Amino acid sequence: MTTSTAALDRPATGARVRVTRSRRPRPFLGLVALAAVAVLAAMPALVGAGITAKLVDGFILLTLASMWNLLAGYAGLVSVGQQTFIGLGSYVVLVLAQWGLQPYLALPLAAVVCAALALPVSWLLFRLRGGYFAIATWVVADAVLLVVSHFPSLGGGTGAILPGIAGIAPLTRLAWTYWSALAVAVAALGVTYLLLRGRLGLVLTAVRDDEIGARSVGARVGWAKRIVFLVAAAGCGAAGGLLILSQLNVQAPSVFSVEWSAKMIFVTIIGGIGTLEGPIVGTIVFVLLQELLAGFGAWYFIALGTVAVVIALWSPRGLWGFVADRVHLRPFPIGYWLWVDDDTGAGAGRAEKGVE
Amino acid sequence: MAAPLLELHGISKRFGQVVVADDLSLDVQPGDALGIVGPNGAGKTSLFGIVSGDLTPDTGQVRLGGNPITHLDAAARSRLGIGRTYQVPRPFEGMTVFENALIAAQQGGATRGRASHQLAADVLADTGILAEANRPAGQLGLLQRKRLELARALATRPRLLLLDEVAGGLTDPEVAQLVAIVQRARASGAAIIWIEHVVRALVAVVDRLVCLAGGRIIGDGVPSVVLANPAVREVFLGTEATAESFAAAGLVAGAGS
Repeated sequence: MTTSTAALDRPATGARVRVTRSRRPRPFLGLVALAAVAVLAAMPALVGAGITAKLVDGFILLTLASMWNLLAGYAGLVSVGQQTFIGLGSYVVLVLAQWGLQPYLALPLAAVVCAALALPVSWLLFRLRGGYFAIATWVVADAVLLVVSHFPSLGGGTGAILPGIAGIAPLTRLAWTYWSALAVAVAALGVTYLLLRGRLGLVLTAVRDDEIGARSVGARVGWAKRIVFLVAAAGCGAAGGLLILSQLNVQAPSVFSVEWSAKMIFVTIIGGIGTLEGPIVGTIVFVLLQELLAGFGAWYFIALGTVAVVIALWSPRGLWGFVADRVHLRPFPIGYWLWVDDDTGAGAGRAEKGVE
Repeated sequence: MAAPLLELHGISKRFGQVVVADDLSLDVQPGDALGIVGPNGAGKTSLFGIVSGDLTPDTGQVRLGGNPITHLDAAARSRLGIGRTYQVPRPFEGMTVFENALIAAQQGGATRGRASHQLAADVLADTGILAEANRPAGQLGLLQRKRLELARALATRPRLLLLDEVAGGLTDPEVAQLVAIVQRARASGAAIIWIEHVVRALVAVVDRLVCLAGGRIIGDGVPSVVLANPAVREVFLGTEATAESFAAAGLVAGAGS
């Protein structure tokens, strides 16, 4: 390779470059994803109400884990207070339903309101770093819980029933909730994918690896983090809205519980933090474990803890990290692959530079 | 005469009892190549931190092209044309070599789309690691990491390039390759400030040398004159290795006698 003396302003004359988003073209991946969503969308007609309800829980968990992965796995924002937005999302749906809005139509508004509320919260929290940030997110969640508990119209500390839903037949209602949950989960994954695939994604991946380095190459790290915080608030708000739609009531201590953070962290860690695929794998494993161990009472939690410890020690990048190292499978191509066309002779063969 | 590219006015910085900059003032003209030497703890890397925005000075002002930038963070300064390398290279290990250069081209270099791809590939070609473009940066050895560190700084299209010991830990032929890269960067118009213990690498590029000790400038001028300065030799020549490297560079008359 001849070196160029003109790296700074003029393009090098020796080589034309081409960039693809993965090493090999993968036209079928989009179709596979589409087919998967279509099959999942047909589920209420194919399986019983029990399984449908469990899948709703799974989609909520997948949404939460994807958001936490974006926060902690990419933006370096280790939050243990996302239940702030889960709870707020539930209550936004409740309040809008109390005002007469159809609860399912209130769901997207819950996401929007949570993103809007996340902005002033970020002004407060972004002054803190690391462990202080993490604790402060939890403090915010508990503070919001205390405020919400003081409104009798919201059921105080004891809870409130979701109005405007009694007229719908139970199975129809379950199907609507299911499709809403599927839509939210697909949107969460889709937004995460698009976010990571664009210019901002490169910044977030760099922040994941080295925040100081990212700043030194000109990346507006604070801005990128704020975007992620707002997106995660919207996602967690939508998940909270799904909770009240599936349970038909809301109890403040339950939706604002730190247990939600524990769950999303667990799912992300076992699946693989800092990868798009990790939360999907983690959710599947978590739901299966839950099914297998449902009858064992307290042993369930002991088994979950053991699984988390073993995976954290044995494969710090989670189950997906373990798999991805062995089979070069990237269902979500967000990287950049450089091809160099050598200009040394007319019609010269395309030389691929680099090895994997 | 136009404003200097970089101006430091009365910069002071201390960490507890340790003074890393003591009322320090320095001007760098466009296209200058300035070397900085000094014993460990003299405040060299801290000075880079103050210029690049990683550190905030206690007092004093930093100007770029006549405009105050003291209040700007590292990202904003990178966008204004200050590129820096770190003493210990800090590649984004989970990203490929190309992606490492690409983010610098897009953010600090303010390019988009195909222009950013071309710029990233060009700096990789210029620093001799284009062949590694699709490898994860975490797999690179020391020399390749140093090349990538340089490539990333160049991809931000700097007007002022800060090099922090890019030659440390390398063999002589490797140092020669890096010197060639730095000379090309200089030829393309960037001003350079280079901190280096490998003095022979430094004097191959710079035409001005600043010696720092205790956060103060104790010598500033043509390299051979600065290195012959008694004050500079006093803080420096305590160690045999440095004396030898001066002699090897042919800079200190009579160092071997």
